[in-house]
Amino acid sequence: MEFIIIILLLVISALIAILAKHRGFIEGVSVFSAGIALLGSFNIAFRVAKFGDYSPYAFFSVDAMGALLLLLISCVGFAAVAYSIPYLRKETANNIIGLTRVKQYFCLLNLFLMAMFLAVSSSSPIFSWIAIEATTLSTAFLISFYNKSSSMEAAWKYLIINSIGLLLGFFGTLLYFTPVDSAVGGGFVNWQTLAVNAVHMDPLLAKIAFIFIFIGYGTKVGLAPMHTWLPDAHSKAPAPISALLSGVLLNVALIIVLRFKIITDAVIGQSFSQTLLIVFGLLSVVIAALIIISQKSYKRLLAYSSIENMGIIALGFGFGGLGVIAAILHTIYHSLVKSALFLLSGNFLLKYHSAKIANVKGALKALPKTSILFLIGFLTITGAPPLGMFFSKLLTFSAGIGAHPVVTVISIIFTSIVFIGFLMHVSAMVFGKDLNEETKEPKKESIWLLLPPLALFFLVLFLSFYQPLFLQTLIHAATLRY
Amino acid sequence: MNILLLQLLLGVLFLSIIFLHLAKKNFVTVIAYGVQSFAITLILFSSFLETKNLWLLFVVLVIFFVKVVLAPIFFVRLIKKHKLTFSVSTYLNMPLTLIVLAVFATLAHSHIFLPLTSIVPAHHALLSLALSAIFISLFLVINRKDALSQAVGILSLENSIVVFAVFAGLEQSPALQLGIIFDIAIWLVISFVFISMIYRHFGSLDTSTMKHLKD
Repeated sequence: MEFIIIILLLVISALIAILAKHRGFIEGVSVFSAGIALLGSFNIAFRVAKFGDYSPYAFFSVDAMGALLLLLISCVGFAAVAYSIPYLRKETANNIIGLTRVKQYFCLLNLFLMAMFLAVSSSSPIFSWIAIEATTLSTAFLISFYNKSSSMEAAWKYLIINSIGLLLGFFGTLLYFTPVDSAVGGGFVNWQTLAVNAVHMDPLLAKIAFIFIFIGYGTKVGLAPMHTWLPDAHSKAPAPISALLSGVLLNVALIIVLRFKIITDAVIGQSFSQTLLIVFGLLSVVIAALIIISQKSYKRLLAYSSIENMGIIALGFGFGGLGVIAAILHTIYHSLVKSALFLLSGNFLLKYHSAKIANVKGALKALPKTSILFLIGFLTITGAPPLGMFFSKLLTFSAGIGAHPVVTVISIIFTSIVFIGFLMHVSAMVFGKDLNEETKEPKKESIWLLLPPLALFFLVLFLSFYQPLFLQTLIHAATLRY
Repeated sequence: MNILLLQLLLGVLFLSIIFLHLAKKNFVTVIAYGVQSFAITLILFSSFLETKNLWLLFVVLVIFFVKVVLAPIFFVRLIKKHKLTFSVSTYLNMPLTLIVLAVFATLAHSHIFLPLTSIVPAHHALLSLALSAIFISLFLVINRKDALSQAVGILSLENSIVVFAVFAGLEQSPALQLGIIFDIAIWLVISFVFISMIYRHFGSLDTSTMKHLKD
């Protein structure tokens, strides 16, 4: 029942956003829907933790990893919706957008959340593909939201590259259907049927199919060298959308790759898929680190950091064993911290009207609370001790050092470069001297623009030192499966 | 439907993609896509004749409406509205483009992709041709500089994958096919809007002139 309620509420919210004329009503309905989605996701997660895979209808099925992602989508989703209200009101006050844009925004945001829920909870790989394609379609207009040439360029790049990627992913998905009798389940093939029939699959075909899946969905994950759309799209979208794109959507695409990995591993063993994950993971870390050093925009800095972190997660799954639990923990922490950082980047953007690092100086004086939170976020995301991401990175590298010492050492070196790059840019933004008379004056910071990222930080802090029993059960179950 | 006729329809699909690479005018590009989509619709109609599944007939009619009617109308309106008679150039010149097409066609027929092209051994030649169509469509999106050709390339890639699925016996249930075609229809509308916006912002559809985003 939870699935139906969540999906229906999000669809209704999207419709209300288009039809209603009162802004407060649109905002209220969106917050209400996101809140119910959050409660529903917790309910589903509790069920999965207690009874295992949850599939109340033929179309829906949630395993432990799916439940974790549902929690992340709903937590970050709720924070993004809550943040969007004051953020868009400020933009309206600054004459950047009007009511029509706000209506479009909330409509697409609700559809985007719904598509992510469907992608994770669908029991059919084809239906998951349709839902992931729907995330591309719903977010394309959000990326071009400000109607500038640069955002238009980013959105077109996003649409074309992701469409190619997803079509290749679709082709790969179809290839996994070869050992399945087309009459099974009236033509409705679910993940379980694919897994059961995997043993009958031609090993060479399984390899080719997984390559298509990896390149196809890997494009959406943002793994290098298919990442080129990501920094553009994530930096041009409004801050709350960037938070969802970076914090959640990348993981939604990754879970599809991992589900196909299980099927491929059943046919040809783990080494093939693990090698691909390690190679592309390492490449992502290296490329992101090299670009972060010379980055000029703080939103692009965060976007490249997402590529680096998705690389680390891929490395964790590639290393296997202890690496899998590290990757799952890293997914949770990265999702929450990166979303919080993107929301905070919105506060900088509202104050300085620029995403260039060079234009943001002395933020500690002008926006003290935002700056302190941003500093905490920077330390967390780069893996500084004692917060969760330090342990998840440590666990990943511990898992890799035995079997893949060269890869691990290179990764450690380049994650250190990421830290140096971040430190350089963030210290310039926060501690640098602002010579601009207009921006250097301290400005009263809206509590409503601080609460959503603050809540996400508290969640990371809490989860860094204590994980509730149901969460431990989910992480354990997900580790065993993936 | 006769296997020879199916071969002919697949040949039409393949040749239409080659033609898309050669075409200089946007109008003929759109017409070629319409012809290609009509060939796909007929191939899917043959599946209906075999199964007599009325849901499949409904899917075929929806596909016909979206790909053969709606898509060309959208694109032709776009061409007329912005007077986009000529397509902008390609990244590779024509001789190089033809060499790459030959390489892709050879690759698709090589033993590397034998596991794919022998999914249904009786359809080996057809699957090889369908795989060539996939590769060549992919190259169309990469090689063309204008946004309209890129959009047509994506739709052509989707058509090629559908035809591969049909000959490999990997067709999905009508419900899922409807979901897929719904996605394609939405994609079509979105690309139509974006192409218009790109023209308004940049004064042309040449994506190589978009240089606002750099690291």
